[in-house]
Amino acid sequence: MLEKTKNIARQILEEKKASAVFGLMRNEWNIIQPHLFEDPAGLANLVLEPKWLLAKLAMRILRSSPENYKLAVICRGCDERALIELIKRNQIEKENLLTIGIACSQEQAAICLCDRPYPEKLDAGEKVSGVDPFQDERVRKFLIGNDKERMKRWADMLKRCIKCYGCRNSCPICICEPCKLEDDVWVQRGVVPAETITFHLIRAFHLSDTCVACGACQEACPVNIPLLYLQLGMRKTLREKYGYEAGLDPETKSPVLSSAFEKPDTDREFPDWINSLREEDES
Amino acid sequence: MANISVFLCKCFGEIDNTINFDFLREELSKDPSVVLISIVDSLCLETDIEKTVSQIRESNSDKVLIAACSTLSRGNLVIESLIKEGVERHKIGLVDIREGCAWIHGDNPEDASKKAKDLINMGIAALQHKDMSDDMSVTVHPNALIIGAGPAGLAAAMSLARTGFKVNLLERSKVPGGMLKLISRCYPDNDDASNKLGPYLREVENNPLITFYPQSKITSVEGDTGNFTVHFSFQEKDSFIQAGVIIVATGAKIFFPTGLYGYGEIKNVINQMEFERQSLNGSLETKKPVFIQCVGARNRERPYCSTICCPISLKNASRIAEDIPGASVFILHRGIMTPGNTLEKYYRDTLSSGVQFIRFEEEQPPRIIGSDYVEAVEVYDAITGITRKIETDLVVLSTPLVPNNDNVQLAEMLDIEVDRYGFFSEIYPMHPLETKTDGIFICGSARWPVSSDHSILQGKAAAMKAVSYLRQSKIAASTLSRVPGLKSGHARVVPESCTGCGNCVAACPFDACHIEKLEGRYISIVNMMKCKACGSCVSVCPNGTMQIPEHNYRMVGEMIKMAF
Amino acid sequence: MNQPRILIFACKWCGFIGADAAGKKRISLPSRFRVIPMECASLVETDAILRALAGGIDGIAVLGCHIGGCRYNNANHTAIKRLELLQDLLDTTGIGSSRLLLSFGTAHEDYQFEEIIKNFFDELTLLPPLDPWL
Ligand code: SF4
Ligand code: SF4
Ligand code: SF4
Ligand code: SF4
Ligand code: SF4
Ligand code: SF4
Repeated sequence: MLEKTKNIARQILEEKKASAVFGLMRNEWNIIQPHLFEDPAGLANLVLEPKWLLAKLAMRILRSSPENYKLAVICRGCDERALIELIKRNQIEKENLLTIGIACSQEQAAICLCDRPYPEKLDAGEKVSGVDPFQDERVRKFLIGNDKERMKRWADMLKRCIKCYGCRNSCPICICEPCKLEDDVWVQRGVVPAETITFHLIRAFHLSDTCVACGACQEACPVNIPLLYLQLGMRKTLREKYGYEAGLDPETKSPVLSSAFEKPDTDREFPDWINSLREEDES
Repeated sequence: MANISVFLCKCFGEIDNTINFDFLREELSKDPSVVLISIVDSLCLETDIEKTVSQIRESNSDKVLIAACSTLSRGNLVIESLIKEGVERHKIGLVDIREGCAWIHGDNPEDASKKAKDLINMGIAALQHKDMSDDMSVTVHPNALIIGAGPAGLAAAMSLARTGFKVNLLERSKVPGGMLKLISRCYPDNDDASNKLGPYLREVENNPLITFYPQSKITSVEGDTGNFTVHFSFQEKDSFIQAGVIIVATGAKIFFPTGLYGYGEIKNVINQMEFERQSLNGSLETKKPVFIQCVGARNRERPYCSTICCPISLKNASRIAEDIPGASVFILHRGIMTPGNTLEKYYRDTLSSGVQFIRFEEEQPPRIIGSDYVEAVEVYDAITGITRKIETDLVVLSTPLVPNNDNVQLAEMLDIEVDRYGFFSEIYPMHPLETKTDGIFICGSARWPVSSDHSILQGKAAAMKAVSYLRQSKIAASTLSRVPGLKSGHARVVPESCTGCGNCVAACPFDACHIEKLEGRYISIVNMMKCKACGSCVSVCPNGTMQIPEHNYRMVGEMIKMAF
Repeated sequence: MNQPRILIFACKWCGFIGADAAGKKRISLPSRFRVIPMECASLVETDAILRALAGGIDGIAVLGCHIGGCRYNNANHTAIKRLELLQDLLDTTGIGSSRLLLSFGTAHEDYQFEEIIKNFFDELTLLPPLDPWL
């Protein structure tokens, strides 16, 4: 997979389809870091592991570059989805972006709770099937039970937060300046741990229909709060109710932004996602 | 922080009987931003308003909070009278402590007083952050553009021209008249269609204020309320008109029921339009006609009732029954639709003229007997349960009106909506003939199948609505509200913090904002002439860049903090 | 136990008219609710709802017009979809969607408003307190 990626990257550079290829590089001190490959010779040091989301960096590079600067990004499934969301949100010009899509391994998908461990445009590697996060032991353990138990679990967990803003800063979709999380009207300033309901849920809801489940927020969290779990229910609802998934193509807008009523449904007793946890609940 | 003066209205005991005003005064005096607390008997009294205004002038307050009755009672009048006295609108706040507190908690004065205190604090917090929207105005082109010269368009043109406005009347075909040109008589008065059309056609010919553009077709529309530029091809040459208002009177088209009851294959199966044509040119020959209703209507594909087909059949059936001695006339129907006083009478008259009615069900439609010529129609009578065979020499199919093919295209150009069938639709049932874009009106069968009389009526009504725009030389965006009183404001973007994400654009129900590239980045721009201040954009903007100044998030946030 | 606290965002074309009519009829209601009139239910920011929950308010009601009855070209449909998604987040976190009452087209009349408020009070009284979150 690595060789194939290198070949594609080389071809892109040689044919001048892009000004640079953006990927990971092992440097002379054996440290891996994101790198802009401008010279095909440099591609010898290209690596694909570990998982490192490049979407936000790619956006910044493109923004600070001249208009006709084209960038080819080596991306995993979630990274591609993030890039597509950024195109949708007018942060990246579609014409200036090329992707070299690589597939993730089964192990990686299990670690990420990823239901789509491959990009839509796959260039190297073999697709493996995704995992259903609601079948995962960790998720089930955390989300099972009644409201009271769940609330307790979340409260205990979120109390650990040191309000480092890592979750927001690492999220490829969180691009606002200023951000509501820094506004006293919404989140009290100078209070640690952060006000739980506002800080965490405002962020989580802002990403309700744009979250690509990359897990960057969760990985960035220094105190290991499973932040991705906040998004799972909403993502599932969007998929089941509206057939919508963020980051699949730049043209489809989020259903939550339109007044079209696919299925009027206001009688709800249980959240839709709870059904997938049911069996264990009963046994 | 602005200095605020608070006026507490007793409403002659209606409020202070329940709410303890001494307590309120005491609580309010703790707030450093409150520089004046005044208790008045009733702000409905002119003398109290005068007193209030002079107190405001004497105090060093920047903003005024009134705690009185609800905006839906006399609260708005109080605000208006203060504005008349020179207080700016966005510097006035109103808190409802009567309907929203005293009157619903009369049994618990203590809680009511506490609640009143909280409500007033919420009002103060909101007032501190209340801002005012920008406004803009456009110069109105004092002329109208009417699309379609059928009865609705003609009536609108005549009304507008007689009111003194210049009218441009666009028509797709060569001559004006629309569908009325094709029919012989109109229901319910059985007047000749040409009589009905006559005055309007003469008006178009003789009134110098009306310019008629036959054979024209709209190609694009620009601009906003009061200032539309419409490009069109006129006799195959490109042309354009600037107009203050647009009236859409494009009518509908006739449904040809090819394949149903042998239509298109069998010579003596015709539709109502063909019947009209034959009676116009005198070629109609029938003694035993059978009319079949709801052909292609009120079914799965077209679930609506076209409303005009039943009266048309009544008209044509009774005419044969009365004019031709020995005629036998049948109407096969699925329930005769004749609402209103005139039409119901029309139905009864038709009954007494000897026309026979048989009701059938959708599942058991009548059957045509004969392959190149229909000799009889077999029908299962749903009421008696008997299958009957009716001899006939002419089968007339009543078909619905269906939307014109290019409605969707035209709606897109004009920025108005079509309903699920493709007819133009109103923005809200309570604002008939008005569309998503102010200054564009719909009337006649373009909107929904209606009789010629109703088309004329709607055309005239649309004209009068149009006049209310045309008579102004300038229109301010803030007055473009469909309800009495002012709009609550306009959405406003802070360009520095807009990321250009486009959420607002996707959510705006009036297409009032769009993304533009400015200095290398994308930002959202609000068109105030279109914005209705609904706030859809506000709630989807992730970082609060989009706000309605009169109801901004800071106000809501601070109100929530003060709520209990 | 303390009476729950309720915050109501009422569309001024619908829920607010119901609230006002209840006032005009002097219908006796529990006092611990506050109404914030809104231009349209679509103006209700989800962040404001979360802010209110964080501020110790037990239940939020959003009252808007019925489906197809919005003055703003179906803006309320968008609001319903968004708020239902928020209910999902509230369920995920155990706050519970029942703390966010969505009522569209059902609070137009005084007695409807009364019923909604009273039922909501009853329902909230049964819920565990939000304390662990505060
Ligand atoms: S989230 Fe999915 S696509 Fe992204 S790294 Fe993990 S497995 Fe791969
Ligand atoms: S919220 Fe977390 S998982 Fe979702 S897109 Fe942002 S960083 Fe990725
Ligand atoms: S948390 Fe919300 S406001 Fe802040 S950056 Fe993310 S999307 Fe923007
Ligand atoms: S990354 Fe973790 S610790 Fe940092 S602000 Fe987010 S939740 Fe809190
Ligand atoms: S307030 Fe409503 S009409 Fe105005 S721009 Fe926003 S969404 Fe559009
Ligand atoms: S939603 Fe807000 S940030 Fe996004 S384009 Fe609109 S105003 Fe700008």
